[in-house]
Amino acid sequence: MSIQDALGGILGALATGSLFLGLALATVGVYGMLRKPDIFHQLHAAGLVTGPAVMLVLLASLGSGSVEIVTSAVLVILFVLVTAPLSSHAIAQAALRRRTAPPSDDAAD
Amino acid sequence: MVAALAWSTLLLVGGGAVLFRSGDLLHRILALDMLVALVVVLLTMLSYIASVSYYIDAAIALALLSFTATLVAARHVMRGRRF
Repeated sequence: MSIQDALGGILGALATGSLFLGLALATVGVYGMLRKPDIFHQLHAAGLVTGPAVMLVLLASLGSGSVEIVTSAVLVILFVLVTAPLSSHAIAQAALRRRTAPPSDDAAD
Repeated sequence: MVAALAWSTLLLVGGGAVLFRSGDLLHRILALDMLVALVVVLLTMLSYIASVSYYIDAAIALALLSFTATLVAARHVMRGRRF
């Protein structure tokens, strides 16, 4: 067994682990979106899907070895790293400014 | 790998259930944002399994479009008029 085979095996195992961790995070996020009634609680669950879950699945595709897929995946990871907090923040700010009640009474919405 | 694709499709169905249960405009915007993230996940896995790089380019375009749409829709809800 050469060193390249060993490195490829380690890379494949890391990619599979990252893929299933990302899918588990996406499952937790969708379950939280189904369970939580309030928009602020739902933002927490949706941020789990749009941020870390997408990035972990994209990291798993780094193990494919194809140059085009790896460069595009790095681009999407950088893009998601910038835009996922921005869109969550925009939704949270809209939910906060829209309310006429003060933000402390969460149950009224 | 096919199990991962099937599970991601099930997650997409769950996101659709979230979208249909949402009663409010902001809930709907948030559910659509999450649905696009799930579609990006699905396209990435498809490009990884089939070793075709076009799907992940579609994922880039979809992420860009989703970011812009979410930002504009949230700004519209906040201001109450057109962006």
